[in-house]
Amino acid sequence: MSRGVAITGMGIISSIGTTVEENFNALIHGKPGITAIENIATVHKNDIKVGEIKRSNEELAHELGLPVDNNFSRTALLGAIAAKQAVKNAGILDINEYATGLISATSVGGMDMTEKFFYDYLETDENHRYISSHDAGDTTHKIAGELGLKGMVTTISTACSSAANAIMLGARLIRAGKLDRVIVGGTDALSKFTINGFKTLMILSDTYNTPFDNNRKGLNLGEAAAFLVLESDEVVKKQNKKVLAYLSGYGNANDAYHQTASSENGDGAFLAMEKAFKISGLQPEDVDYINAHGTATPNNDLSEGRALIRAFGVNVPDFSSTKPFTGHTLAAAAAIEAVYSVLALQNGIVYPNLNFTTPMEEFDIVPQTVLKEKEINHVLSNSFGFGGNCSTLLFSKS
Amino acid sequence: MADKYYITQHCSIEGSRISFNGAEFFIAPDTAFADFAKQAYRHAGIDYPKFFKMDNLSKLSFLAADLLLKDTVPDGGNNTALLFANAASSLDTDVKYNDSIIDKENYFPSPAVFVYTLPNICMGEISIKHKLYTENSFFVFEAFNPEFFANYAAILLDTNKAETVLCGWVEFFKDEYKAFVYEVAKEGSLEHTAKNIQTLYLS
Repeated sequence: MSRGVAITGMGIISSIGTTVEENFNALIHGKPGITAIENIATVHKNDIKVGEIKRSNEELAHELGLPVDNNFSRTALLGAIAAKQAVKNAGILDINEYATGLISATSVGGMDMTEKFFYDYLETDENHRYISSHDAGDTTHKIAGELGLKGMVTTISTACSSAANAIMLGARLIRAGKLDRVIVGGTDALSKFTINGFKTLMILSDTYNTPFDNNRKGLNLGEAAAFLVLESDEVVKKQNKKVLAYLSGYGNANDAYHQTASSENGDGAFLAMEKAFKISGLQPEDVDYINAHGTATPNNDLSEGRALIRAFGVNVPDFSSTKPFTGHTLAAAAAIEAVYSVLALQNGIVYPNLNFTTPMEEFDIVPQTVLKEKEINHVLSNSFGFGGNCSTLLFSKS
Repeated sequence: MADKYYITQHCSIEGSRISFNGAEFFIAPDTAFADFAKQAYRHAGIDYPKFFKMDNLSKLSFLAADLLLKDTVPDGGNNTALLFANAASSLDTDVKYNDSIIDKENYFPSPAVFVYTLPNICMGEISIKHKLYTENSFFVFEAFNPEFFANYAAILLDTNKAETVLCGWVEFFKDEYKAFVYEVAKEGSLEHTAKNIQTLYLS
């Protein structure tokens, strides 16, 4: 493989900022976005902390210039804002000038509205417009509509590795010559559906999440959306585009272990990293920073840590999880972490793994806990989903 | 398509009867699926207690796949892709799950049932048992689609994504069920064509 697929634009909205710049500033100044939940009335409000975007749906719709009777779910609102930023950042004026696609990941889709109005649907038709927004694909089509995009549109939902797989599919479509340009990423809003689901699995922390810490208690859920613009070498050359970074490798593997748990030794995670290295032609020693999945559940961090040791040996490079800043944003996680990975390359920064105090007793590796500046040429980013769906992305300096 | 591929073994489960490569493997007439599945499990000599927590679609798929994979070694080196499809998705379990949450007074959402409200979970169960770290996809079609299986399996083999492919049509809704699972390989005698797939499916 050559240098990889060019990344020419990025957009993001998360609990630590509504632009790429705001997100970067929060990361380098150690300002997390984990708080009590405000936008959703849940019985768990005193037991959980979340990475919530402190803007109402009305405010988000207003920013997009939508009519008051729109039927955008929160997932679609967040996605449209981030995707528009990415397109603008890539300097795209005519979205349909080249063969352009949109691949968006989500796990929540329109569930936020369905759970809000489900019982009311039978009583009154006031909110019936949201019924057609329920399915995950509607979210992506809404975003495509906001972009005016007429090309290929598809949705990926593979739990917490969704956005990594969306990015991977986009890159493969470009390399296969099927598309010239593709907007890839993911979006997920907070919902009772995910809060209650993760609560039932007993993997929500009642305090701030502490990845790779021996006393970690589980994850904080978050909401976010982020998109990258990928473009073919021809389009980049023709338009003399500035390349932010390259997506140099990607891999997806099956953990073949359990519906909601990762295997003891991180088999799927190890295979995903191995595949990404093979595609990129890079070696483990080329990696300068690992943006870990690091959800702070007892199971993930042990499994991922062991997989890192298997992939990198005793010299695991600087690694950290940015989930103490944003919470676990599920289907959007790999997309926001892709943005953070590109920023790490551009600025030569290893982000701190906040909230870490005690090394894990099972192994010797510890995350980078304070901001570190150094030359970074390659970043590896992991994302693992329920069902054993494990994905790795490799980003390289332009 | 560059190469020819072959159907090397096949299994059908329907109406309390299992046939394996055209011969009757097990039959338990007039038995409801739950009991039939248990008897078939014992008859096949399977020792895998997780089987009993699976939903119907997974049990059905698992039994068929287990017959075809019984001579393989679960050491993680088996590059058999799984290519499954059906028409009813996971509706059988979806309905059961919905029944458990429809009554506000008697509301009991079970995580153990919930995890089966996706059709591809049945492939996960097969992958876990046989340690298949391989390609897998589950498609939902209106009806059995032999052209699709012929084409998609050939692409998996043409592009070296897999050494062999286990193709499966696995349908379960209420009391109706049918599994038709077969193996595609690079060597064999019965060519993997839409016509041959259709003939075996109907046999």
